[in-house]
Amino acid sequence: MTLSSGPVTDKTLSLRPAAVVMELERLGSFSPTRLSFARRLTRLMYQSRWQINCVAFDLDEGGYGSAIYRLETAAKRYHIVVFSRYIADEQRTDRVIADTWDLTFGLVEGEVDDALLASLEANMPLQEAGRQHPRLLVLSRANRSVRNFDAFVAALCAGEQPDVAYLLEAGYLYRTTAVYGNGKFGIADYDRLRTGADFYQPFSPQMTAVYVLREFSVAQVEHIARHKNAAVAVELDLDLRRYLGIGNSTGLGMAPFLINHPQLINHWVYAREQALAVASGQSPLEEQRVHMVRLCRRAMAYFAEMRVEDSAQSVRNTVVYEELDQIVAWLDQVPLDSSLWRQLMDWAETSLSLETQELINTLLIECYPDEVDALEELMSVEEKLDLTPDMPLVQLKQLLETHFDWAIEADFEAAEARYWFWYQSAEKEEPRLGVRGEEAGEEKELALAIAPRAQRVYHAITDFLVDHPRALTIDLLLAHPEHMKAVRRIQTMVATAFGEIRANLWHRDMKPMHLLRTKLSFLGAHRFDPRGDRWVRVTFFQGAPVLSDFDDADADPALFDDWSFPIAPKQQRGLEPR
Amino acid sequence: MKVSLNELQAVCRKAFLGMGFTESHAEDAADMVAWMQSHGLDGLTALSEGLECVKASALQARPEILYEDADLAVVNGQQLSVLASGNLAMELAFAKARARGLSVIKIRHCRQRQLIMGYVCRLADRGMNVTAFWRHAQSPLTEQVVGFRARSNVPFIRVYQLDEAPEENEANDGITIMMANHVDLLPTMRSEHEYALLARHDESDLLAAHRQALEEGILVLPEVWQQLKTLAGHTLVEASSTSRAGAGPAD
Repeated sequence: MTLSSGPVTDKTLSLRPAAVVMELERLGSFSPTRLSFARRLTRLMYQSRWQINCVAFDLDEGGYGSAIYRLETAAKRYHIVVFSRYIADEQRTDRVIADTWDLTFGLVEGEVDDALLASLEANMPLQEAGRQHPRLLVLSRANRSVRNFDAFVAALCAGEQPDVAYLLEAGYLYRTTAVYGNGKFGIADYDRLRTGADFYQPFSPQMTAVYVLREFSVAQVEHIARHKNAAVAVELDLDLRRYLGIGNSTGLGMAPFLINHPQLINHWVYAREQALAVASGQSPLEEQRVHMVRLCRRAMAYFAEMRVEDSAQSVRNTVVYEELDQIVAWLDQVPLDSSLWRQLMDWAETSLSLETQELINTLLIECYPDEVDALEELMSVEEKLDLTPDMPLVQLKQLLETHFDWAIEADFEAAEARYWFWYQSAEKEEPRLGVRGEEAGEEKELALAIAPRAQRVYHAITDFLVDHPRALTIDLLLAHPEHMKAVRRIQTMVATAFGEIRANLWHRDMKPMHLLRTKLSFLGAHRFDPRGDRWVRVTFFQGAPVLSDFDDADADPALFDDWSFPIAPKQQRGLEPR
Repeated sequence: MKVSLNELQAVCRKAFLGMGFTESHAEDAADMVAWMQSHGLDGLTALSEGLECVKASALQARPEILYEDADLAVVNGQQLSVLASGNLAMELAFAKARARGLSVIKIRHCRQRQLIMGYVCRLADRGMNVTAFWRHAQSPLTEQVVGFRARSNVPFIRVYQLDEAPEENEANDGITIMMANHVDLLPTMRSEHEYALLARHDESDLLAAHRQALEEGILVLPEVWQQLKTLAGHTLVEASSTSRAGAGPAD
């Protein structure tokens, strides 16, 4: 099957039902796929021959100062500007309430002249407290992994390569703590980018800025090492450069995005499910079975190396590792059949953990790049929740019964079912969770729990129809305007394939981490390392090609595409066995 | 100071929530103001100058229907802002136009009438031809006519001065809106009275203003911004050690 570059939908494909896919725990088990934004970026950079060069590098011997990288695409010129400042160890915090960071950086559209640089220098380090320039497409900041940073500098200035084991604990020198786009604090609106050639996909400017930060992080440690010991200092080995990513530390702030952008999430899931349906519907050749085994073995090595602090995640990773071993054995034993992939999915569904099931799906999608890559065009959408005021109320009731049965039938009265409430703190407007009836702020609850709202609308419709059996939607809303937001959303989302995330966000057992992981998987984050239920560290671009790879005319094209589930490069020191 | 469109929408939405608007009404009101501002039509001045009226309108999300049949409706704006219940009145007319091909709605006794454009644009985007019409009962009398063609994001706007209009016995402080599924309703003036064109905005002018707003940011007065931020602050919960725990573990 050949897919065009435009949005692709094949209605004949058998997609998994929303009732399966949109369960929060399953979404929270997703791994990044080749459609994820980080993976797409390196393909795009390679295919479109983006040129990225450092055009200014004004750092002192301690690595403090500024640097500017120029990005040239076929359509436009951009600049990534980085400011590096000294901060004391006690000032370094990943919390959103921080007000100083090791690095602040951003992606600028167009040229950076002295006046703009001065404006950026005055405002960018202030982040949320600054007034940012409208040509700034991305605003971000990052803190050092002090342990890794110091170890890398020490090794390089001693003429040695750092021990790769450092990167097994944390695969980066810097981790970002927020990467802002879409008009935050005065930067450019996404609306402006949507019609452009380069950054029309959501999160593509953010991914670009983070990718360039990775290059800067290496250049900075090499620079410091050279200043410490010019005669002996060496550059970082190419394999280590590739294995070095950029970390990200994320908290609850990411969670509302998943709820507030249902059409976008539907598109992301739809693209992924279409890809899975395309891949699993293929009749595999022996070489594809071999390729799948190779991918499984690479993922096994990746999980074997991964060290996370969270004990529950550590157990899940061990289970995935062991189940991957079973899959390899299964693939060796089962006869090559046209329905092999379907059989594999069926077996996994009945016998393996959710994380492994979704990992298999990720790997299956990986096997068919020519068939699935065009689906990346489905990952953006113009979001509009529109009312259909002339829809008969009876029809709206039926649609609710069909598409929101999971919400209508749920119990939201039990104490456990309405345990949490979401609110926004005065501290940098950060979203937080409070215990209903115990903590202050319930009267200012954020309306993130969609399921109880859908249920309330359903009851209101049922009651209204008793006296007004021929009523339209507008009749209900004229009597009960408070339901307008929910009705708009319901009428819009019932027309989508996957619709809403099926969860009660009030429930005591609800894990916000699942929401974070869902989004992070679509962004392309690896090394999922939760810190409790509401805080997670991940790594981007670990294993990805570095800038010098793009300049190498002899480089294997697979280098720019096939870099998921990265494995540590082998060093003489070797790795501790699992 | 300059702000982005998304930022303006977000702050306005929270400010309206802080005033007591329901969620959908807060979102719609924010979109109406931001749409005006981003098209060079100064929605923030209209909002700021009428802020007390807007605050008083916050709890009145339900339009009072004075008359209604299959084609027509007359609603009482109760001397409140169109931000309060203008959205539902528009949706009522939209439903009638979808059913009958053409509908007319009159919102009597309403304030900040120009802000209605920010909601009418949504209806046009959904495939409706819409013309809104209102008079300013000053001397000399002026008429404003706003016409959106279906699927267009921007209207034609005309403001006329009428020198010889007949006297009226009743204050004309309403808006009349016509919607048609299949017929263009553009504001071409035909009058037997003397009139002068005071202002005119064509689609291209408004598109250029919008493009400029996206490229250069939207200019807002710092005091107005602060006013909105203060109102938005009413939606936030003061931080405490307990609430900090609700953000998850620290570093």
